[in-house]
Amino acid sequence: MTVFSALTSHYRRHPLQLFALAVMILLATMLWTGVHHLTSQARASLDQSEAAVAERRQVVRADGQPVSVTDFAYLRREGLCVMPWLEVSGPDTGRVVGIDPLAAACFGTDTDAEAPWQGELNGQPFVDISEATGRAGGQASLSLLIDRSESAEPMPAGYRTAPFSVGPDTGELGESFLLNLDALGVLVLLITALLVRSVYLLGLAQRRDSLALLRRFGVPPRRIRRLLVLELSLLALVCILPGVWLGRLLAAMLGDGFGRALEGLFDAPLYAGQGGGWLMPVGIMLAVVLAACLVDFLGPMLRVLLPHEKSRRWWPPALLGAGLGLSTLVESLPALFLGVALVFVAVGLWLPGLIGGFAEARARRTRDPLARWRYRELSVLVRRLALPLVALQFAMAMVLAVQALVTTFESTFDRWLAQRLAADFYIEVPPQADIDPAGAWLAERIPDAGGQWHRVIRGTATLAGGTEGSDTQVDVLAIAPVGPLVTDWRLLEATGDAWPKLAAGNGLMVNEQLARRQALDIGESLTVRLAGQTVELPILAIYPDYGRPAGELLLGAAILPTEFSPTFRSLSVSPGAMSIDGVTSQLRGIWQQEQLTVRDNRSVKALATVIFDQTFLLTRAMTLLTLVLAAAALLLMGWVFFSTRAGYFRLLVVWGMSRGQAARQLTRLSVTLTGLVALLALPLGVWLTWVLVHRINPLAFGWSLPMAVYPGFWLELGVLSLAIGLSIAWLMRRQLLHGNPAPAHANASIGGER
Amino acid sequence: MSDLLISAQGLRKQFRSGNEPVTVFDGLSLDLGRGESLALIGRSGSGKSTLLNVLCGLEWPDAGSLRILGESFEAQSHPHGRAETLWGELRRRRVGVVFQETNLMPALSLLDNVRLRSRLANRDETPCRDWLERLGIGELADRYPDQVSGGQRQRAALAMVFAMQPDLILADEPTGSLDRRTAEEVAEVLFNLQSRHGCGLILATHDTELAERCDRTLDLGHRQAR
Repeated sequence: MTVFSALTSHYRRHPLQLFALAVMILLATMLWTGVHHLTSQARASLDQSEAAVAERRQVVRADGQPVSVTDFAYLRREGLCVMPWLEVSGPDTGRVVGIDPLAAACFGTDTDAEAPWQGELNGQPFVDISEATGRAGGQASLSLLIDRSESAEPMPAGYRTAPFSVGPDTGELGESFLLNLDALGVLVLLITALLVRSVYLLGLAQRRDSLALLRRFGVPPRRIRRLLVLELSLLALVCILPGVWLGRLLAAMLGDGFGRALEGLFDAPLYAGQGGGWLMPVGIMLAVVLAACLVDFLGPMLRVLLPHEKSRRWWPPALLGAGLGLSTLVESLPALFLGVALVFVAVGLWLPGLIGGFAEARARRTRDPLARWRYRELSVLVRRLALPLVALQFAMAMVLAVQALVTTFESTFDRWLAQRLAADFYIEVPPQADIDPAGAWLAERIPDAGGQWHRVIRGTATLAGGTEGSDTQVDVLAIAPVGPLVTDWRLLEATGDAWPKLAAGNGLMVNEQLARRQALDIGESLTVRLAGQTVELPILAIYPDYGRPAGELLLGAAILPTEFSPTFRSLSVSPGAMSIDGVTSQLRGIWQQEQLTVRDNRSVKALATVIFDQTFLLTRAMTLLTLVLAAAALLLMGWVFFSTRAGYFRLLVVWGMSRGQAARQLTRLSVTLTGLVALLALPLGVWLTWVLVHRINPLAFGWSLPMAVYPGFWLELGVLSLAIGLSIAWLMRRQLLHGNPAPAHANASIGGER
Repeated sequence: MSDLLISAQGLRKQFRSGNEPVTVFDGLSLDLGRGESLALIGRSGSGKSTLLNVLCGLEWPDAGSLRILGESFEAQSHPHGRAETLWGELRRRRVGVVFQETNLMPALSLLDNVRLRSRLANRDETPCRDWLERLGIGELADRYPDQVSGGQRQRAALAMVFAMQPDLILADEPTGSLDRRTAEEVAEVLFNLQSRHGCGLILATHDTELAERCDRTLDLGHRQAR
């Protein structure tokens, strides 16, 4: 018999233990692969969806007339890369977009994601333009998209370029969310590594006697370690492949709803589903498994670096201090992530000691010997299950942070939509059109119909003397009339009567980013140069403008000088009892334009909400999955570990306790344990939320979400920890009720630990 | 109250090994009076430990009847309900059990182990330290089981049993893991205290010298009472 077969003979006698190890590696692989797959798919899908709806450029006629096939032919003959985009909608056809893949061949692929016309046109509504023409019984509108690289070039006479957009641009809100998902993916990997490490240690603990015997037979410890690594690597290889497969399956199941939502939103099969390779998850999981084993080799090195026990005791506080310092003070993302990692490592190192210390203090204080025994057992339990407990704490902290983050994102996203898409419709004012007669008509008719409207004028201004003493160019958003479409905005800070003063031209509002960068406060006066004129106006309020890092001033349109040259003008209209067709028809008449760009904000809002809801749902599902796995790991390892301690509970039965009473002691023990872990996860979770919201986001994007804590989640976490504790007790109780009635072998192996 | 602590008639105990039933003992009867000691002897696997488990209600006979400390029990597959409660009460207050190993909670000091046992038996905890003194390990009271020798652990186990003032002591190889001299010391303490307190004692042992110190022996290998 070789040493290796002697080593593995343990599992021939205890196949259940081998099964437990294999299941842990498989589940850990499944979890990380699932999360990684979902995150990368969510990223790819959001990228694609943004690409599908991203603002592009189109060529329009300077005289405001709609473009036709003749225009297309002329522009192509002039050498411009333009592509026809025929949008047909009707009660029978729904929304169909006819495109010409041949014409699109000259388009560059400068976007990260594939444009909808690339690849096969097998999805609705993207069809070949000839097919769309055949369906053009309903309303049809032709647009001519121009390649980005050519849109900056001068156009042939009679033509100009204009923005072309088919949906909402979520700005950096989506990117920010994905960055947070990435951060959570790293955390999941850390939890996975902890679980694998705990499985490895469990394997060692179970075979302590066999290993000691091999050493006594003269096998060098180094060889035994190498064989253990080999054994675990083989086991990992066998388990990782089905784990990756299961993870992908899980991601596909969870992602199905997400995919459907995307397809519903963009009418195209955008969710990539089972794409992506196998190699990376397999490679990463193998690396994690090997790292989990090889970290032992760092032990001697650490002992050389820190030879005294006392110096090792300073590790956790030193790491925590360094981590907190880095995550609070640094201004670079990698250093911030390092700080977060250090805090997690410190907390992980501290958790067993903290709970153990608590248990020891309680044991010393109580006079009841049964309670003292329970606290001492708790202390042993914490030491033996330290790693899965740390994993559970991290998973709980992550759930707290993600719940808070997702809820904050949800409400922020709702407010963002409400702010950006307050009106039901958005009508672009043609470049040469006079906005005043249209405004006069709207002012006369819309209020009577119970609707609301305002005009929006965008441009730029210069702020004199910012924080650095230099002038700063900022965006201008001018609105008139100032009505409920804006007065319902949530303001971060405001003086009294901010909106009436804005309407009267007695001040301005600044967005949050400008206020942060220029250290502006309400009540301060700003010197603003608008089209050569300098005005000094007090800051009436600071408004949030999520996902838009540029500085912006909100003004009443009345104070804009006549020389002000707008970059963009539009009308935001909620027509009330009037139909939007009636409104646009009237505006077409006023402006003598055949075609107007009208966006239905309600459908944009509804669709954007659907896609983000799905993303939030997925994120919650992923974190809950992590928690379930951490709980399952604790359950599994608790079960294996309890087999070595069950003898002492049986001793209580021998001493006259009923099995039910002994099981109740067990329940108190496990519920106390998971309850304490949840309690310690709470500050970590709140801190992680703070880091994600107030540090990572501002560093990555220059803006911050409002941070909210939700005590309701804390309660949910408490209930969850109770459920985990009860499940562990239930599983262990089965061992107690069905095992050997006498505690004959409780001192064997590690069972005698105190 | 009758002086007969145990009266067992026609006890049968079987296990299943695969599909085959294995009979450990069948038609076994025994009596034990107050202050009397009985040694169970026999080769390994003859059923000594199983019989002790049956006599303290940790296992249940498949057939036969058992009257112990005035309570009657009929054979059934598993003790439950009132029978389990009754057995629990007996073990808690009146029947002390000593095993070869694992008599102490490793997370508690010797003194706390004795206190815990007394608390469960609803006895006064004050004399717990005295019991350790009487067993010669008073100075070790605050040590943990892994900090004392095997013999000292068994003395602590006896202190726990006597602190609960039992009517009956069931001891399964109480000196089995001790060296000769320590085993003799522990046995000395056990028999002294048993005779002083007048409780019954049933002892399962391979040690013929120890068995001979008992009033009677029951050889389970040959089912022969002397």
